[in-house]
Amino acid sequence: MEFILNSIRRIDNDQVKEHAFGTEESLEEKLAICFINPKDFEKLNLVSSLHLKISNKERQVIVKVKKDDDVPNGMVLMPVSIWSNRLSVIQNNEILYKNIVVDVEATREPIMKFKEIIQEFLVKN
Amino acid sequence: MKRFTCSGCSLLCDDIIVQSDGIFISEVVGACLKGKERFDQVSAKNRITSPLIRKDGELIEVSWDEAMNSVVEIIKKANKPLLYGFSNVTCEAQEAGIKLAREINGFIDSNASICQGKFLNKAKSLGINFTTITEVINKGDLIILWGANPAETIPRLLNKLLFSRGKFRMTGREIKTLVIIDPVKTASFGVMGVRDLALMVEPNKDIELIRMLKEECCSADSIPSEGVAGIDQSDLKRLLLHLTGAENGVIIVGQGVIQPHSDYDLVEELLDLLQLINERQEKGRISLILLGGHFNMAGFDHVALSAYGVSGHLEFGGNQLIKTKDGIVSKIEKNDFDCSIIVGTDPISHLPHVLSSKIARKPLILIDNHKTATSQIAEVVLPTTITGIESGGLAYRLDQVPIELNKIIDPPNNLPSDEELLNQLYGLLNQGRSE
Amino acid sequence: MAFSLDLLQGKVKVDDCPPLLEPKYKKQYDTLKEILGSEEGQQKELKINIDEDLCDGCGICVTVCPVNARYCPSSLSGKAPEYPPEEHQLFQVVGGKCELLKIEHCRRLEAGGRERECRVCETYCPREAVKIEYV
Repeated sequence: MEFILNSIRRIDNDQVKEHAFGTEESLEEKLAICFINPKDFEKLNLVSSLHLKISNKERQVIVKVKKDDDVPNGMVLMPVSIWSNRLSVIQNNEILYKNIVVDVEATREPIMKFKEIIQEFLVKN
Repeated sequence: MKRFTCSGCSLLCDDIIVQSDGIFISEVVGACLKGKERFDQVSAKNRITSPLIRKDGELIEVSWDEAMNSVVEIIKKANKPLLYGFSNVTCEAQEAGIKLAREINGFIDSNASICQGKFLNKAKSLGINFTTITEVINKGDLIILWGANPAETIPRLLNKLLFSRGKFRMTGREIKTLVIIDPVKTASFGVMGVRDLALMVEPNKDIELIRMLKEECCSADSIPSEGVAGIDQSDLKRLLLHLTGAENGVIIVGQGVIQPHSDYDLVEELLDLLQLINERQEKGRISLILLGGHFNMAGFDHVALSAYGVSGHLEFGGNQLIKTKDGIVSKIEKNDFDCSIIVGTDPISHLPHVLSSKIARKPLILIDNHKTATSQIAEVVLPTTITGIESGGLAYRLDQVPIELNKIIDPPNNLPSDEELLNQLYGLLNQGRSE
Repeated sequence: MAFSLDLLQGKVKVDDCPPLLEPKYKKQYDTLKEILGSEEGQQKELKINIDEDLCDGCGICVTVCPVNARYCPSSLSGKAPEYPPEEHQLFQVVGGKCELLKIEHCRRLEAGGRERECRVCETYCPREAVKIEYV
């Protein structure tokens, strides 16, 4: 289903804080997460044991989902992180962090681990 | 008790009471949670206090000499070094960074260019009205948050701007009007009162709102009855009334406004609208405050402007400033660099994957003081002091006011400050050149 | 209004209001008795709770509290009050979180008239971390 992705800042989901004081587990717990409206949660046939696969033309990411009443319909919010930035795009030599068109679907696949993302970076040409 | 300046975010609160014996910090009074976390970084679990070099895929501790030599080798082999970051360091360190970039014929840019620097760029042709926090505290009567959520990013901002009474008035919150323009109901909406205005604009429709306001300013009664961009007619009329009637209004702009669009430039159109309103205003004006995260985000442009007359990025060739059309985004996208020096920031986490993957493929030197995603990719990590606590210097607040940061305690392991380290690097490379 | 506040705080009982004992107000009398139940007349203490998990140290409660404003001039411009805290100061932000120092000088206890209905700390907290309760 087509949604709009918005990366946001939340004081409780702060990647600088988790990198400095936390562990990889706490990093994944606080940042590999997204928020959607309860009505959209039902529309996508989600339950608490499923995850959300968010993808655009180039890349995809799998994260936990939480219901949030303040999110408008058709929008998915993610805290700014290495997960949300897999989906940010470049437009006219500038970076688009908000209102990115994405495709979302419920999935049983596990969330993307921090180590996996770093491994992708370390494989150099 | 003596008050110190907090370097937790770009608000640079200078009323923080710190209890310390010069070695440990025992109590921090007045700082918000973000500021307290900054003070906690001194003893953070994942702090780096010795230089690290990647050997066989793992980062291991080495001596300063070995680390510095390794860095000099990497830079000497490179023809087009890229320097990026410089928003979590003092102005003196920014100056040292530019001096280093000139020595090694590099391209240097700060975090501001993918954030609030866009406003300054446009301001060159359109002009921009800034105001200071103290002005808003003492005289402000209209505060508009546009695409900004300070309740989550700069917790004390609304406290200072909205709730304070200031020197000349008996009341605070009651006489200030708050308007929030945002597609999402953020935490900042929590401070709204009955007389305030909440405008839930539709995503990506801010341009329609700006254009409608411009039109209504020039010829009244042009607002359609069904409203614009998801906001109804009466709210739009109220918004324009506030904008044209305020004596000392301020618009606080955040990430929501600086997003790129293919057919128009939102920043330009907003600056245009403000110029129009200010020209027609008889008794007041509307100014801007730009939000930014890192504590010295505003500083780099001031330093570059005073040193070279150029704000934003600088590119050097033949040890001279050269004209360039590229910004940091196009430089990285085109792969027009062969190594990078990252100072006080975490681009692997905050840049889009398409750019961060390109930085990761070339040798990366990191100057930072705790583990991050970038430190997991770096070839060499050089730790420095935590500015504002273990070393001082000048920084620019988000309203462009310069504030001095102090040293409160000694750094561990005699760590150098960012300024000292960058100057040391400059010395080693300059010496190498003249030999 | 003052009587109803005292009634809720358990300082007086329903029977202490002579007009309520008249037959034409029997229905109101019965309703009040039912609402209060066994808690009628039980002295309740004012408590101002600050949820530590929700508080982010923004300091809005420190700035809006009228007692703080009267005795800590620096809070008028949104600045942190002096430390050690002044004798009457109610709120301060320590270690990144807001703390209630002492409740004795709160307007709800000390003032008279409409000032006793002060709820600004609870109303203006953006994260709803401050809650006024009677226990």
